[in-house]
Amino acid sequence: MIAERAVVVINQAGIHARPSSEIVKTAAKFSSSVTLSLDGLDVNAKSIMGVMMLAAPCGSTVKVRADGDDAEAAVTAMADLFASRFGEA
Amino acid sequence: MPNTLLRGIPASPGIVIGPVHLLRWEVPEVPDDVIRPEDVPAEIERLRIALARTVERLRAVRLRAERDAGSAEAAIFEVQVSIVEDAELRSRVEDLIGQQFTAERAFDVVMHGWREHFARSVHAMVRERVSDLVDVHIRVLTILMGLPDHDPVDLPKGANAVLVTHDLTPSLTLQLDRECIAAIATDVGTRASHVAILARSLGLPAVVGLLDATERLRSGERVILDGSAGTIATRPTAQELEAAANRQRRQSAETAELARLASEAAVTRDGVRVQLLANVDLPDEAEQAAANGAEGVGLMRTEFLVVGRAVMPTEDEQYEAYAGVVRAFPGKPVIIRTFDVGGDKLPVGGFPAEPNPFLGWRAIRMCLDQPALFKVQLRALLRVAATGDVRINLPLVVSLDEVRQARALLAEAAAELAAAGVPHRADVPVGVMIETPAAAVLAEVLARDVAFFSIGTNDLVQYTLAVDRGNAALASRFTPLHPAVLRLIRMTREVGEGAGVEVGVCGEMASEPLMAFALLGLGVRQLSVNPFALTRVKRIVRQISASDAREAADAALAAGTAAEAEGILRERLAAAVPPEFLHS
Repeated sequence: MIAERAVVVINQAGIHARPSSEIVKTAAKFSSSVTLSLDGLDVNAKSIMGVMMLAAPCGSTVKVRADGDDAEAAVTAMADLFASRFGEA
Repeated sequence: MPNTLLRGIPASPGIVIGPVHLLRWEVPEVPDDVIRPEDVPAEIERLRIALARTVERLRAVRLRAERDAGSAEAAIFEVQVSIVEDAELRSRVEDLIGQQFTAERAFDVVMHGWREHFARSVHAMVRERVSDLVDVHIRVLTILMGLPDHDPVDLPKGANAVLVTHDLTPSLTLQLDRECIAAIATDVGTRASHVAILARSLGLPAVVGLLDATERLRSGERVILDGSAGTIATRPTAQELEAAANRQRRQSAETAELARLASEAAVTRDGVRVQLLANVDLPDEAEQAAANGAEGVGLMRTEFLVVGRAVMPTEDEQYEAYAGVVRAFPGKPVIIRTFDVGGDKLPVGGFPAEPNPFLGWRAIRMCLDQPALFKVQLRALLRVAATGDVRINLPLVVSLDEVRQARALLAEAAAELAAAGVPHRADVPVGVMIETPAAAVLAEVLARDVAFFSIGTNDLVQYTLAVDRGNAALASRFTPLHPAVLRLIRMTREVGEGAGVEVGVCGEMASEPLMAFALLGLGVRQLSVNPFALTRVKRIVRQISASDAREAADAALAAGTAAEAEGILRERLAAAVPPEFLHS
């Protein structure tokens, strides 16, 4: 099963170190593979190295794609995390 | 082993008798070994255990940092945990182990690759993470190779230790535990480098520029560090220990005597009034400065807000930091300098390496090139200006353009605040640092557009003499009393006086008795020094006469060399004050 959603980075600082860590922890809860894409760069959401390389600034739109049994739940959890501004301003 | 005396540069006064805590925060050399194919599974297991232990270690460091520095600062260690646990990182290292690399060699190769990849990113946000990769690199290799753990936070409270390290970088500063570190010693640095300024602002005795202290000292050995003499005595004899303890006692008696001066006026014997302000590096120094009799803040540095941080501070966070200092000085001037980042004060791994950082992209240059970022600080400053006598100081200005651009951004920031209905003061006085020969020579032009000049002696000396202030090999050539520097200072003061522009000196050098004497002689009437030096400088001011200082400075200005100028000033000052006043 494949699920996809476009999410907008709305926290001021963008996806810096701490949000990257939160993304990885959230993605790790699911068995599906989770990929984030921005400007032609695809990274594994379960690898902080990849997520940090994305360098997504505030206002950018990141494509979340999950592939696996719990793909829909994974994409929803990721969208919720972005919407929560990672607990920041 | 015989006892030895290590000589360095006195950076912050005081005597400490205590154990060495050697901090080697560098990636260890990894031997080029290979393993047998049958040992691959055992090597992968060794890697797994080392990574797990690193995570445990980081969690412990995080807990401690959370308690000491707050959860925002401590979050960076959780990011480092995620790096250690990264599945891609692990699978790459395991692949190399499969090719008969040792675990440490495999990890080293993979980390070097990642670091290079991150360092070359076009995104500052990515480059900033290099320092976390370096930290993880060091921690994992230290465990894999069974090296001694030099974690900077791993000391008992009250250890009274002498921290010995190659260089105390801003990122290590975050982990500096003031409850166990009593003194600092570094291989590199001078009186003017980051570590020395930090030590003085924390009131920690320090010796810098020791060249090879990290090679010669061992963790745990007892030493006597004398921050006034710039020495470290190893294997001290009973007599030496007693003498050091005596000097310690004398210094505390002097401290009590100096404390009484806090409430006295800073007036010379011939009745010239001097305004003594404080340099504040961290907001919590403001109260100390006020208690020591500061008449305001001549230089509030704002680098603490960005150095060692993962992200830029928000406008509100900046506002709170500035407001705290303004509250400590009701009705008194507080001069706040905009971010002077760059040179030796880099945010954690934040910028591309430059061949010449002190001549590079720093201070006002960096701020003007990133207007969105700069305006966050300007808005916070305009808001806090509504609560007190706040003035804005622009660092490293070399032309009028920079002042005009900064003013344009200030106007935009004010308009944004006005549109949002946020209380602020739009017409905040704006001044510039005079810290380059260009600014000093152009003072007359700059005076048309600014409200004050603030002379930064460290950088003015460095740029005028083309002597790198952080280079220990050049320390003897870093001469603040060079006639060229004295002439630029007097020129600036004269221009300021003629144009009705206030002139102060906020460089660290103003806290040295000889330099303070020279500055008063050059006609400077506003000195800003670190909070711990206030009473000592006041004692000098109260002991001399301005006309004496003027004559001495005139003679020094005519001198041919720095040594001659210094000789003249030293002789005049020695004639006026008792010898014990001359220690800085």
